[in-house]
Amino acid sequence: MMANVVAIPTRAARIAALNTRYRHHAAIKVLGDALQDKELGRVAMVSSFGADSVVLLHMLSLVERNTPVLFIDTQMLFPETLIYQSQVASKLGLTDLRTIRANPTAINAADPDGDLHGRDPDACCDLRKTVPLNRALADFDSWITGRKRFQGADRAALEFFEEDPAGPRIKINPLAHWDARDVADYIANNHLPRHPLVAKGYPSIGCQPCTSPVLEGEDPRAGRWRGLDKTECGIHFVNGKMQRIAPAEPVVFTPEEGRPVIVRDAGFGPEDWTGPILELAPEADLDDPNLHYMDAPMIRIAFPSFSDGRGFTLARRLRVAGYKGRLRAQGHVIADQFPMARRSGFDEVEIDFALAKRQPWELWKRSAEVAPSYLNRLGRSA
Amino acid sequence: MARAFEPVVISANDLFDGRTIYLTGKDEWVPHLRQAELITDEEHARHRMAHALALSDHAVGVFLAPAKAGPDGPEPGHPREAFRAYGPSNYFHGKQAEDA
Amino acid sequence: MYQHSEFDRAFVVDRAARFRDQVHRRISGALTEDEFRPLRLMNGVYLQLHAYMFRIAIPYGTISPDQLRQLAHIADRWDKGYGHFTTRTNIQFNWPKLVDIPDMMDSLAEVGMHAIQTSGNTIRNVTADHFAGAAADEIADPRPYAELIRQWSTDHPEFQFLPRKFKIAISGSPNDRAVVKSHDIGLRMLSRDGVTGFEVSVGGGLGRTPLVGKVVRDFVPAVDLLPYLEAILSAYNTVGRRDNKFKARLKIAVLELGIEHIRELVEARFKEIRPQFDGSDQQVLAEIATQFRAPDLVSGRGTEVYDAARKADPIFRAWSDTNLHGHKHPDYAIATISLKKHGETPGDASSDQMRLIADLAEKLGHGDIRISHEQNVVLPHVHKADLPVLHAALREAGLGTANLGLISDIIACPGLDYCALATARSIPIAQQIATRFDELKLEHEIGELKIKISGCINACGHHHVGHIGILGLDRAGVENYQVTLGGDGTETMAVGERAGPGFSKDEIIPAIERLVQGYLAVREDASETFLQAYRRLGPEPFKAALYPAKEAA
Repeated sequence: MMANVVAIPTRAARIAALNTRYRHHAAIKVLGDALQDKELGRVAMVSSFGADSVVLLHMLSLVERNTPVLFIDTQMLFPETLIYQSQVASKLGLTDLRTIRANPTAINAADPDGDLHGRDPDACCDLRKTVPLNRALADFDSWITGRKRFQGADRAALEFFEEDPAGPRIKINPLAHWDARDVADYIANNHLPRHPLVAKGYPSIGCQPCTSPVLEGEDPRAGRWRGLDKTECGIHFVNGKMQRIAPAEPVVFTPEEGRPVIVRDAGFGPEDWTGPILELAPEADLDDPNLHYMDAPMIRIAFPSFSDGRGFTLARRLRVAGYKGRLRAQGHVIADQFPMARRSGFDEVEIDFALAKRQPWELWKRSAEVAPSYLNRLGRSA
Repeated sequence: MARAFEPVVISANDLFDGRTIYLTGKDEWVPHLRQAELITDEEHARHRMAHALALSDHAVGVFLAPAKAGPDGPEPGHPREAFRAYGPSNYFHGKQAEDA
Repeated sequence: MYQHSEFDRAFVVDRAARFRDQVHRRISGALTEDEFRPLRLMNGVYLQLHAYMFRIAIPYGTISPDQLRQLAHIADRWDKGYGHFTTRTNIQFNWPKLVDIPDMMDSLAEVGMHAIQTSGNTIRNVTADHFAGAAADEIADPRPYAELIRQWSTDHPEFQFLPRKFKIAISGSPNDRAVVKSHDIGLRMLSRDGVTGFEVSVGGGLGRTPLVGKVVRDFVPAVDLLPYLEAILSAYNTVGRRDNKFKARLKIAVLELGIEHIRELVEARFKEIRPQFDGSDQQVLAEIATQFRAPDLVSGRGTEVYDAARKADPIFRAWSDTNLHGHKHPDYAIATISLKKHGETPGDASSDQMRLIADLAEKLGHGDIRISHEQNVVLPHVHKADLPVLHAALREAGLGTANLGLISDIIACPGLDYCALATARSIPIAQQIATRFDELKLEHEIGELKIKISGCINACGHHHVGHIGILGLDRAGVENYQVTLGGDGTETMAVGERAGPGFSKDEIIPAIERLVQGYLAVREDASETFLQAYRRLGPEPFKAALYPAKEAA
């Protein structure tokens, strides 16, 4: 006997219908309706708790805060991300946060020393992200991502709904049409906490070894897998394969013998200051009424030795007193002190050629990826 | 009259494991005091010290350690050097145990 | 006790990774030894006579059974199967390889431990009363404040390169068991008009210039604690001397500039700094406090077993006479495990002993363990009915010594056996005194007597506050021991006075024996302690006992 033939629409047809139906929806409406839509079945949100993630998470908390949220802990994340993740989840009252990690046996087998990212970044993403996520997604029919068109050429044609090439699921992209400005406005208008690394030059945040800050004018995702021919982690594909774009080249600066090197968050650079400088010795007395520092456009504090920490207290006192000008530490400051200098109120450090040669930018950069701060938690102003 | 120069050896600690090490006359860092070069002349000590500092990549805290001549080579010239050379007195640990 | 939050965990993991990187850079040459030294010191890594030494923080002396087991594991895996508990309630391993230390740090991070700021010119491990939360005489548990201070001081960007090290101690009881006035900052908890706060002393210290801390403000409300501490540190970082490391501690600034000047400076800085704190620290403090709730103590169980054991077993009775202290709950006791077995190294514990203590704390002590600055281990909550079982298990492991507060309960620094700064040995002197008085079977007769031994002027062995202090010096290449008398490390803190010329290592043990026999001869009765007799009679009869030949001449 022949069975009744029921016309089951293909996934592609369902997705096309969904995109038509939701075409004029605002992001939050896409999200709210998608969670109710029988067409989409069981829905989870996947969040990296990265630079922009708080937008979708906030929307989710307004619409249905019991929705499962999958967070992939690659065990290579920035400590800031872990802290930010727990802060955001508790602030928004999300009730079903599921942390997804790779199977320890798989890690022991494929990456016992934790250096796979250096040898084969694709394999590392597979091991720590893609495989565990696909395993976790097996329980769901659709998943919500925070991907946006403006994030790169390979996402330029992104729609609200698309096929998941990795499995029989549908991907929901409520923010597909948002741009960077929309994200920033939403975060500001709703007083949402920002990922602490955003302020340090990371508009896109992945794993610690493969993320670096982005310079002004660069593609926001240029800091991901910098220097590699890789822009996506393997979770996201376009038309079933990766679309590659070359990140913009940062301006190259080479320290020169006899010239100072200025260290800032974005990297080494040449001296760019031509204005007047108020020079302060480490023993300077800020309480001296004859010392007029408030209007100085730049104050430079000398560090005769890295072990003399008086300059940190001077910088802090200047900032507490309301000094808004440029504040520079000059002399024997080592890379490991960069976070202390920045957190004490310095904008930059001036070192000589020899020190810059022995301690290249790479070391300062690593040091600047600062540990989480207890003082922030204790409510002491930075 | 100037004080007579007390004999010394050049000693340091090893960067990797912190063990006491001594410089031989052939510019090798060795774990045993008795193999060290005993230096009895001040001028030579200064010269050897400068040389040791230059080749001391993995020797930390290079200094002139008081020593005296013994039948099998240099011996400690101060209680501290005795503990550095042989190990602590409360446990049978350190060099004394390695040599046993 | 305080459980590391996700934040703390991320912090210590990050720090361990950073140190691993610093070790690599040192080996590659990117860091010079001069630059590496302060970085390793910030992480508790010293280079001593025979090897590196790794000092791990036990903040305010509180440690969990799992943490203690992890220390045992570390001792077995990367060291020689033992650890040394210090007078600042840290633990030291004497034999690690530099390249293994990052692994040891990772291993510590697994149980929420670290070695951050156990060394270097920064704010060190905060210490507190080792009976905190259990003592009958306590106003309030000081540990939540100690933990708050730990968080504030950890990685404080301004205070990692101070003129010199900086120590803070906090006591929650009028009976000061934390020697607060020998610290750069001493905090004594008070309650005024229903408000909790602290009397704050500054400029205490031992070392080459022993000084008792001076009160800089008689009452700082608890809500102002962190900004007030920050004001003191900010002032110190400005005025502390950097031209001479022996004059760089806060105590010298207080001595040279006067407490009035320091007070003005601190109060002015406090005005600047107070508005920088928005009050979130009080929420953090409240969260911390919930983690220090008293354990669920059992009432009505009866203590007959304990009373019977005291009657039947003289060894148990002797132990319970010396090693127990009064608990808030009448059916409980604070039990101290002596790490001063006669002839052993003071403060050392083997990995097996650590595991046993961890197990016993879990079974009989609500999982709470403390390390005291007197280098012993405390189980603060033991039901009296469990004490005989506890004692039997301890005895079997060589941990049942009944000598707390007695002449063999000696504080001793590592001395010239290990320490690069030492001028003479401490450990063998402590071992020989303990063994000698054990042979004489006199120590219970002598009663309370605190001997403290330092192997150099830096006074890690607290000799200045020993009833009898012994300071080991180097006299032209020979170990020589100076005796001080009448020191006191409690709320009536006093610095001992030098008795006279020093003794050789062969003379010092008989000299101490003469001194103690002299005390026994002059005391009014068995209830008058050595210190009381010294205070009543002055130094002369004691000096006469120490230097008999001189008196005869």
